[in-house]
Amino acid sequence: MSTLAKLTRRGFLIGSATIAGGVAFGIYTVKKPHANPLLDGLGEGEVSFNPWIKIGSDGIVLITPHTDLGQGARSVQAALLAEELDLEFGQFRTEPGPPSAAYWNTASGGEGVPFTSHDRSLLAESMRGLVGSVIKVMGLQVTGGSSTVPDSFEKLLIAGASARETLKAAAARKFAVAHADLHTSDGNVLLPDGRQIAYVDLAAEAASIEPVRPKTLREPHRWRLIGKPMPRLDIVAKSTGTQVYGIDLRMEGMVHASLRTNPRQGGPMLRHDSSQAESMPGVSRVLELSNGIAVIADNTWNAIQAARAVEIEWGPAPYHPEMAEHWRELGESFVEARLDKEWRNDGDIAAALGGTGDVLELEYRAPYLAHAPLEPISAVVQVSEQRVDLWVSHQIPRFAQDLVSRMTGLPVEQVHLHNQYCGGSFGHRLEFENIRYATEIAMQLRGTPVKLTFSREEDFAHDFPRQIALCRARGRVRDGKLDALDLQIAAPSVITSQFSRIDMSAPSPDSQLAAGVWNTAYALPHMRVRAYRAPNLAPVSSWRSVGASTGGFFLESAIDEMIVAAGLDPMSERLRLCSEPLTRKVLEAVAELSGWGSKLGPNRGRGLALVESFGVPTAEVVEVTWTDRGIRIDKVYVVAEVGRVVDPVNFDNQVKGAVVWGLGHAMNCEITYADGIAQQTNYHAFEGMRLYQCPEIVVRGLENGDRIRGIGEPPVPPAAPALANAIFAATGMRLREMPFHKFIDFA
Amino acid sequence: MVSFKLNGAAVQVEVPERMPLLWVLRDELGLTGTKYGCGIAQCGACTVFYNGQAVRSCQIPASMLDGAEITTIEGLGTPEQPHPAQAAWIEHQVAQCGYCQSGQIMAAAGFLAMYPNPSDEQIDQVMSGNLCRCGTYPRIREAVKSAAVKLREPS
Amino acid sequence: MIRTAAIVLGLAITTCALADSTLQVNRPSGELSTEDGLIAWQRIFAVLSHPRCSNCHTDEHNIPMWSGPSYGRTRPHGMNIHAGPSRMGVETLMCSTCHITSRTPNTLPHAAPHAGHPWMLAPAAFAWHGKDSASVCTQLRDPQRNGGRDGQALVEHIIHDAEAHAFITWGFAPGGGREPAPGSMQAHLDDMLLWTSVGMPCPEGAQP
Repeated sequence: MSTLAKLTRRGFLIGSATIAGGVAFGIYTVKKPHANPLLDGLGEGEVSFNPWIKIGSDGIVLITPHTDLGQGARSVQAALLAEELDLEFGQFRTEPGPPSAAYWNTASGGEGVPFTSHDRSLLAESMRGLVGSVIKVMGLQVTGGSSTVPDSFEKLLIAGASARETLKAAAARKFAVAHADLHTSDGNVLLPDGRQIAYVDLAAEAASIEPVRPKTLREPHRWRLIGKPMPRLDIVAKSTGTQVYGIDLRMEGMVHASLRTNPRQGGPMLRHDSSQAESMPGVSRVLELSNGIAVIADNTWNAIQAARAVEIEWGPAPYHPEMAEHWRELGESFVEARLDKEWRNDGDIAAALGGTGDVLELEYRAPYLAHAPLEPISAVVQVSEQRVDLWVSHQIPRFAQDLVSRMTGLPVEQVHLHNQYCGGSFGHRLEFENIRYATEIAMQLRGTPVKLTFSREEDFAHDFPRQIALCRARGRVRDGKLDALDLQIAAPSVITSQFSRIDMSAPSPDSQLAAGVWNTAYALPHMRVRAYRAPNLAPVSSWRSVGASTGGFFLESAIDEMIVAAGLDPMSERLRLCSEPLTRKVLEAVAELSGWGSKLGPNRGRGLALVESFGVPTAEVVEVTWTDRGIRIDKVYVVAEVGRVVDPVNFDNQVKGAVVWGLGHAMNCEITYADGIAQQTNYHAFEGMRLYQCPEIVVRGLENGDRIRGIGEPPVPPAAPALANAIFAATGMRLREMPFHKFIDFA
Repeated sequence: MVSFKLNGAAVQVEVPERMPLLWVLRDELGLTGTKYGCGIAQCGACTVFYNGQAVRSCQIPASMLDGAEITTIEGLGTPEQPHPAQAAWIEHQVAQCGYCQSGQIMAAAGFLAMYPNPSDEQIDQVMSGNLCRCGTYPRIREAVKSAAVKLREPS
Repeated sequence: MIRTAAIVLGLAITTCALADSTLQVNRPSGELSTEDGLIAWQRIFAVLSHPRCSNCHTDEHNIPMWSGPSYGRTRPHGMNIHAGPSRMGVETLMCSTCHITSRTPNTLPHAAPHAGHPWMLAPAAFAWHGKDSASVCTQLRDPQRNGGRDGQALVEHIIHDAEAHAFITWGFAPGGGREPAPGSMQAHLDDMLLWTSVGMPCPEGAQP
């Protein structure tokens, strides 16, 4: 790693305006492509034209470096590569590939710049470019921020086209025909005389050819795969119990481990007595970890049982132990000293809200939330003298490598991470606890592969939750219109908390503190958005849609309350406030799709919310009925502007899943702390949505924008406020705090 | 030592009598299609058939296995010859992360064997014991109905 | 047959230890008044109305309840559970999908509890969830609404339950950190013996 890259690594500045002033790279450093990591490991007769494609006599391998967390990343990356390469599904294998700087994420910086997604000014574009440069120099391979498709789209089309042209060049040389006379189809180069030469039979010839740069990409009307329903590559395995996940791995000589570490996250272990555990069936050893213990046993169950039997005295939490103090700390954060950034200040907010009269003063709360993917976190690690092997699913694999390298003292090149399929992430696989502890154990059992499996209870106890957040809003309606809104948000900084766990810093401001709020397309005459950073709270982490998951609730609840106060229609007033053309079309489409304005029956209500996150304006209309057993969510209409829908089936599935995610957590989930410990230990206390509560969900993707966007997260933020607004419409009850089941039952 | 039938074949294992079937399957017998999600019958990811009935295998101690007949997702069907429920799950592209789907499919298959023509209300009642964090419920509903049709068709 | 004999014998003599159980049938002795019976009933009602018992004594909607200290407010059993007219989920999801039949102690917090009897709701006629003391009392002594039992049969029901490690037994030792029903199986049997021996008196307000 270059010195520059190392420096950049330690002071990673995503989300920081200081990038503009502080960092400059030589042009060469930025322009230089990263080396193709596949070249090192090529077998006899294998060829690789670029970091995504490997062809050998035994077949074609497409490398899909974005981690598949269940969002279908592997299939979509493969399809983008196969499109220009003229491969059909079934003609290739996929592999996640080795962690590499070559897979740096070209799209992950967009959210970090303080410009709205619609701002194409020179300054905004320069900043995006600069953030991109930092990420490139860092070689930041990351899956997250709904960036897989935006990062991959053009890059993988070019990679496929380049490979195709190189194979044609190889055929041209081998068969002495003109390159221009060659065509490709179904994994073959077609010669002018009608012969079909399989790509795999051209690998040896192609190996000695410099990869050809394609001149153009195909026009969209020629696409065979993009825009059409695709069969997910993993669908058969995932429907027959044959998909292997990280937790399923078994290998020769492997031992099973489970652990207990301080549930007061980050606190120490004071004393422990493992005598009883050591005598339990199947237990071979009880090891001490940096702040806990691990049991080594002959199977997972014996390990979990014995870990529970260890008597441990835990030290105090390095944060407020009781929930009331967390809220108090947030409430005391609306002060200049804690101001992270004033994100927006249009008009004259002080004057508009000054004087006497009908200023709406509102307060909203959003709780901590666990990620709780259904597969409890696990990792298999084997530490030997010369190398470490790490079998785990991770969203930033090179950071995981870096961590293990520092822990073991072995150079990064000798840390081999084999990225696995996982049973969901929602942000949990951005964290490192499973890797850290599995490595601690494996270092004490050198040479032996160790599978560390967290019990569900340990997973909950150590699931760094979504940020808690408090919003204070003041608004004023003037002349029957929304005139002024001052939104102030206090929350802990996710990126600071997250990076501190891998010894990295992230200075102010944190763009996620006001995400989904400051970038709203609503233009009120007077609007101010301020974000305050609250200290001394529980460690927090990126949770599906991150800042917008709380910010969207605040913004769209406050807007809705003002609209109600003004006696206006929620749809038409939002349309009046919104002049940005792409976003307007989203609102218009959801109005049409949902039949907005049509009459609903008694005890029924409709709620609307519009939030933009990750560059995707998304509007949702939720319809509810207030039944004698509580609120039933009948139907949800979703419209999102993504520029281009790559796979309509996966798009539909992702949107529906995100809506269920947003609604389910808003209904009945929270993590609360007592004595510094999360009180929710399993799904009995963190239910989410069950099938019977799932509404019909109608989805429409719009393709008016000129930039392609990701869809994994953007439908999450509007779900909670649209539900709250619908509940208000049906019941007259305004819910300003999640989860809503504290105030109303759900049928 | 307990002896039981697993996917039609006789097996014997030597395990602690309180060890749940879930872990006997996964760690002792190497059948990892049955998933650990919660360990307390809250999520349904570990659903298997116990003497023909869908149950949560995390709750079945080894002491209850002697003489039992167990069917897991691997025994229900294969990638080459999927059970109609599995075929429906493939057709509707239900899975996202897929981790809960073995349990979802076993719950659906067990139920459809008794009620080949379920109402929407019955589906909502039977399938709500299985948690899906990815939110694939709309597709699960469609797949259960489609599986019911496949099962009713004369083969 | 042996069990029945033991019960009959147990009622005939003052004290009899039952096989397979530490439960003692202590025939009440001395002068007992209706007042004593009503005091015993208060303790019986505390047991019957406790969540460990009443959650599964629900009405003809066939929905078990979740209530008690760990649940916040009272609510229907999660997961949309409907036990159906069979009262054991035959029509939808069998209770035994999650609640196994086993005499082993319940140890796991928040796991589906189990007992020695197949898990099920009590018959709908025995519904007493949410009802007051007088109503439950008249219901319990009414053979139309208690499974055709007289006083002695009600007592036998408890003894049978103890032998089967069934639901009443479980209610006093639910395990997994759950709050048990108040008192003990022995005290409950003693109270039932007392209450039935003085003619099953019910508090004021009881409907005939």
